[in-house]
Amino acid sequence: MKWSDGINIAFFSLLENPLRTFLTLLGIAMGVTAVIFVVSVIEGLNLYVADTVSDLSPQVVVLDKFGVIKGQANWLKAQRRNKDLTPADAEAIRRQATLVDKVGVSREHGGGVRRGSERVTDVDIRAVSAEALEMMPLEVAAGRVFTPFEAEHAAHVCFLGYDIVDKLFSHQDPIGRNVTIWGRGFRVVGVAQKRGSVFGQSRDNFAMIPFSTFLKIHGAHGSVHITIRARDPQRMADTVDEVRGIMRARHHLRYNLEDDFGIISAKGLMEFWQSLTQMIFRVAVFVVSISLVVGGIVIMNIMLLAVVERTREIGIRKAVGARQRDVLFQFLAEAVMLCALGGAGGVALAWLCTWGVRSATPLPARFPLWAPILAVAVTSAVGIFFGLHPARKAAQLEPIDALRTEEI
Amino acid sequence: MDNTLIQLENVWKTYEVGAEPVHALRDITFHALRNEYVAIVGPSGSGKSTLMNLIGCLDTPTRGRYLLNGRLVSEMSDNELAHARNREIGFVFQTFNLLSRLTAQRNVELPLVYGGMPAKERIACAAEALEAVGLGDRRRHRPNEMSGGQRQRVAIARALVTRPSILLADEPTGNLDTTTGKEILRLFDELHAAGNTIILVTHNPVVARHARRTISLLDGKVESDVVNGH
Repeated sequence: MKWSDGINIAFFSLLENPLRTFLTLLGIAMGVTAVIFVVSVIEGLNLYVADTVSDLSPQVVVLDKFGVIKGQANWLKAQRRNKDLTPADAEAIRRQATLVDKVGVSREHGGGVRRGSERVTDVDIRAVSAEALEMMPLEVAAGRVFTPFEAEHAAHVCFLGYDIVDKLFSHQDPIGRNVTIWGRGFRVVGVAQKRGSVFGQSRDNFAMIPFSTFLKIHGAHGSVHITIRARDPQRMADTVDEVRGIMRARHHLRYNLEDDFGIISAKGLMEFWQSLTQMIFRVAVFVVSISLVVGGIVIMNIMLLAVVERTREIGIRKAVGARQRDVLFQFLAEAVMLCALGGAGGVALAWLCTWGVRSATPLPARFPLWAPILAVAVTSAVGIFFGLHPARKAAQLEPIDALRTEEI
Repeated sequence: MDNTLIQLENVWKTYEVGAEPVHALRDITFHALRNEYVAIVGPSGSGKSTLMNLIGCLDTPTRGRYLLNGRLVSEMSDNELAHARNREIGFVFQTFNLLSRLTAQRNVELPLVYGGMPAKERIACAAEALEAVGLGDRRRHRPNEMSGGQRQRVAIARALVTRPSILLADEPTGNLDTTTGKEILRLFDELHAAGNTIILVTHNPVVARHARRTISLLDGKVESDVVNGH
C-alpha cells in the first residue's frame, strides 16, 4: 500500500467522527497553546528589558545605593544597612581609580513642571552632572544639552522630554522659553527625541537640570547615582573590582561583609532578568510535558477503543489483502495526525492569544517563529509513541476472528 | 499437477473449547483443478465454513497440508498470506462485508490499494469490475443505499478486481431473496464460463446444482464427492 493511500485512509477515518476527533486533540492543543503563549510573553518582555537596558551601554556601570535587589529579604536588609552615596564618593573614584575613564553623578526626584497656568505633574526630574550627561545616550530633537559652564555653575537651564514639551508648548518653540520647577524659573535649552512608551510606561516624561543646580536648591541630602565609564570595555570586570575596592574602603567595610551599595551593569541586569525568565520557562515546559503525556495517554485510549470498534473493518481489510504493516501504518497515521492536528491547533490558538494580548494590554508579547515547527514535531512524536500500542493490536488481529465480530 | 489450484491433504482443524477438543474438520483430502465449479454442501456444523476459511487463507489448519497453487500455505509468512488473499483468492461472504462508509467504487478499489496500484489505474480497474457485474451506474453509492442483491454484486466485483485464480463464495445467496439469488447464480455461471475457478459453500441443494461438482461434508468429513449431471 502506498504511503499516500495510507494517509488518505487515516485522514478519512478521523473525519468520520469529527466530534470525537476534536475532543481528543483538545488536550494536546491546550498544552501547546500554554507553552507557546508563555514563551511569547517572555520574548516580549525580553525585548522590553533589552531596550531599557540598552540605555546602559556595555562600557558603563552605575553605582547605586541599592543595586539590583534579589528578593524581599535582601531589600529589607539593604534598607537598613546601605549607605547613601555622595558626590565625595564620586570624586574619590575619579581621583583613585586607574581603570576608569569618566565619572558622573545624577539624582532623580519627582516633581511638577509648570508654565503659566499649565502644569504637568509626576515628572521624572533628573539632576545630572556634565560627565553623567555625556555618558547618557540622549538624542536631541531640538536645541542642545547643557554646556560645561552651565553644568558647573548651577545655571537654571533645563532639557525637556518630549511629553513635557507636547503638553506645555503645543504650538510654540520651547527653546529659550521658561518653565517653573520647584518654584524656580528654568530656561529651556533643548528637547529630547521622542522615545515612545514600552510596557505602558512613557519614556518621554522627564526634565533634566544640572546637578549643581539641584545641590543649590535642595542641598546634599539623599543618595546619588554614580555613573562610571571603563577605560577599556574588555577589562570591565577589573574596573568594577577596582571601584568596589575604593567604595568598600571608604565605607570601612571589613573583608567578610557584603557590599553596602550596589553596582548595576548592563550585563548584570540582563543576567538577572534571564535567570528569572529561565525559571519561568522551565516551569512552563515541565507543566506542558505533563499535559502532553496526559494527552498522549488519552489518545492511546481512544485509539484502543477505535480498534475494538473497528475490529470487523480490520478483518475485512485483511481478508482482501492488507498486510500487518498496512494496518499498523493506518492506525499509527491516525494517531500521529490526531496529535499533529492538536499541535497545529494549539499553535493557531497561541498566535491568537498572543495577538490579543499584544493589542489589548501593554504587555509586548511576541510570537516565536520556531514554535509551529517544534510543536508539530513534538506532538507527532507523542502520536507515534502513544499510538504504537493500539496500532500493533490492530495489526495483529487474526482475520478470521476479526470477521466473526459483531458490528458494535 | 500444473492444473491443480487447491490441494488439501489430511487436513484437520481442531478447537480447544473447555476440556474437550472440538474437531471441525477431520482428515479432509481433496483437490480442485483450474476452471472447476465446485459446491461444498452439508448441514449446519458440518465444517463447510471452516473449510472455506481454510482454503481462503483466513485460517490455518491444525494438522495436515494445504497447497495453494503448488505452495505450502503453512510455510507462508504473514505477508505472503496477505498477498495470496489479495491476488490469488477472491472471497465473497454471506454478509457481504463491505465497508459501509465507502462508496461502491472505493470498496472495489480496496484490494487494489493494498496491491499498490496507482490511483488512476485503480479507478479504471474498479469501474470496469463494477460494469462487469452490471453496477456501472451505481459506483458512487454507499452500501446502505443499495439492495441486498446490489451489495452482493459489489462484493463479487471486489473479489474479482485483482483477477484472482480462485473465487470463494460462502453462502452467497443466503441473505437474498429467491429472485435476486437466481441472478447472482447466473452471474456465477457467466464467470465460470469465462474461465474462473469457483468454490461455493451452501446448505441449499438447489444452489449446489448450479455447480459441476458437489462435495458433501458431514461432521467434518467428506461424505461424497460427485460430478453433477448437467
